[in-house]
Amino acid sequence: MAEQKKVRFIIERQDGPDSAPYTQEFDVDYRPGLNVVAALMEIQKNPVTVDGKKVAPVVWECNCLEKVCGACMMVINGKARQACCSLIDNLEQPIRLQPARTFPVIRDLLIDRSVMFESLKRIQGWVEVDGSWEVKDAPIQNPYTAQTAYEISHCMTCGCCMEACPNVGPQSDFIGPSPTVQAYLFNLHPLGKFDAPKRLNALMEKGGITSCGNSQNCVQACPKNIKLTTYLAQLNRDVNKQALKNIFNH
Amino acid sequence: MFHTTFYVRRLHSLVGLLALGMVLFEHIFTNSMALGGAPALNGALAMMELIPHPIFLGLEIGAIATPLLFHAIYGIYICLQAKNNPGRYGYVRNWQFALQRWTAWFLVVFLVWHVFYLRILTKGIAGVPISYELLQNYFVANPAYALLYIIGMFAAIFHFCNGITTFCMTWGIAKGPRVQNVVSALSMGLCAVLCLVTLAFMGSYFVM
Repeated sequence: MAEQKKVRFIIERQDGPDSAPYTQEFDVDYRPGLNVVAALMEIQKNPVTVDGKKVAPVVWECNCLEKVCGACMMVINGKARQACCSLIDNLEQPIRLQPARTFPVIRDLLIDRSVMFESLKRIQGWVEVDGSWEVKDAPIQNPYTAQTAYEISHCMTCGCCMEACPNVGPQSDFIGPSPTVQAYLFNLHPLGKFDAPKRLNALMEKGGITSCGNSQNCVQACPKNIKLTTYLAQLNRDVNKQALKNIFNH
Repeated sequence: MFHTTFYVRRLHSLVGLLALGMVLFEHIFTNSMALGGAPALNGALAMMELIPHPIFLGLEIGAIATPLLFHAIYGIYICLQAKNNPGRYGYVRNWQFALQRWTAWFLVVFLVWHVFYLRILTKGIAGVPISYELLQNYFVANPAYALLYIIGMFAAIFHFCNGITTFCMTWGIAKGPRVQNVVSALSMGLCAVLCLVTLAFMGSYFVM
C-alpha cells in the first residue's frame, strides 16, 4: 500500500484573550477534496502535534460550510479567507493558520467580530417599517439597482475585507469597508432610502468613510466578489452631496 | 451636525492636490530652467524677485508654509492609522497605499532639512540669494546631498501623482474599476515624466 500522504499545518494558537500566542504543528492525512475546516475537524478528533504531544484541540468557528455564513474566516497562508472553501489542493504547504488579529482573539482561531455588528447599528443597517403589505401592494425595488442591491446583500460580515484593510484594526477607528458599503445597500432600498441622509451623516463622522485610504485590498479579499471599492466611491460622492446640503440647506 | 473629521479630511485632500501640487509644479518648472544653464535659472529666479517682498513673504507663509504644515501634521495622524501590509497583500494599489505613507514620512524629514537649510539658513539668515552657482557648488561638492534631493523629489512626485488617483476616488470622481485604472495609469505616467525631468535638471549640474 502506498504511503499515506500528509498535510502539514502550522497553527498560531492562543489560550485566552490576553495570553501570548504560540505555534503548534499538526499532520493531517491527505484526501481528495480536503479543505481547511475538514482538516481542523481531523485535528479536533486527534489533537496530537507532530512531536507526538497530546494538546488541547484547536478552537475555531464554523457553521454553514458553504461560504454563506462567514463564521470560519481566518488568515490562511497570510491572507484572510473562509476556511470552509479553502481547498488543500489550492494551498501552498505547509499551511499556516492564524486568527484574524484585526479583531480581538478569544482563543486560538476564534475571534470576536461583534465590532462589525456595532458598526452596522451605527450606520443604521436596517429598514424602518411601520406596517406590512400584501405582496402586490409593497413598494418595489428599483429594477435598475436591484442587481447591485442583491450583490451587496451577499455580504456575510465574515470580516475578510476588515482583516485585509490596512486602515482597520486596533490602531484605527475606521468601521471598515463592509459596514460602510452596507449603508449603500439600505440607501437603495425603496423604504430604506428615506433614511439615506441619516446614514450618510453617520458615515461622515469620525471613523466613517473618510478613514478609507484607497488601498483597495477589500475588493480583492471579498469572498463574495462584492465591488466594494465601486460602492465606496459612490458613497464618497453621496457624502459630498450630503455635506453640501448640510451647509446650504440651513 | 458638523462633522469636523469629514471637513478636515477633505481639506487635507484639497490642500494636497491644489496648494502643494502648485508648489511642486513651481519647483519643477523653475528648477528645470537649470537645463538652460546659469543664465536661464538665474533669470527665472530674478523673475520671482520681481514680486514685491511683502506679497512674496505672504505667499510663502499663506500658500506654502501653512498648507504644508497642515497637510504634514494631519498626514502624520493619518499615517499612524495604517498598518501597512503589502507583504501579505501584494496588490499594486496596496503597494501604492504603503508607498504613499512611506514617502510621506521621508518627505517630512526631507522638507524640514530642505526648508531649514536653503530657505531659513542660506537665504533668510545668511542673506545669500539662491542662484545656479550656489546650487551647483552645493550639489557638486556634496553628491550625497544631490542624491538625497533626487530621492526627495521622486518621493514628492510619487506622493503627488498617487494623490491624484486617490483624490479621484475620495471625491467620487472615478467610481468604477476601469476609470480608476485609467486615472491611475495616467497619474503614474505623469509621475514617470516628472521624475525624468528631475533627473535631467539635477544631472545637468554635474555635466555643465
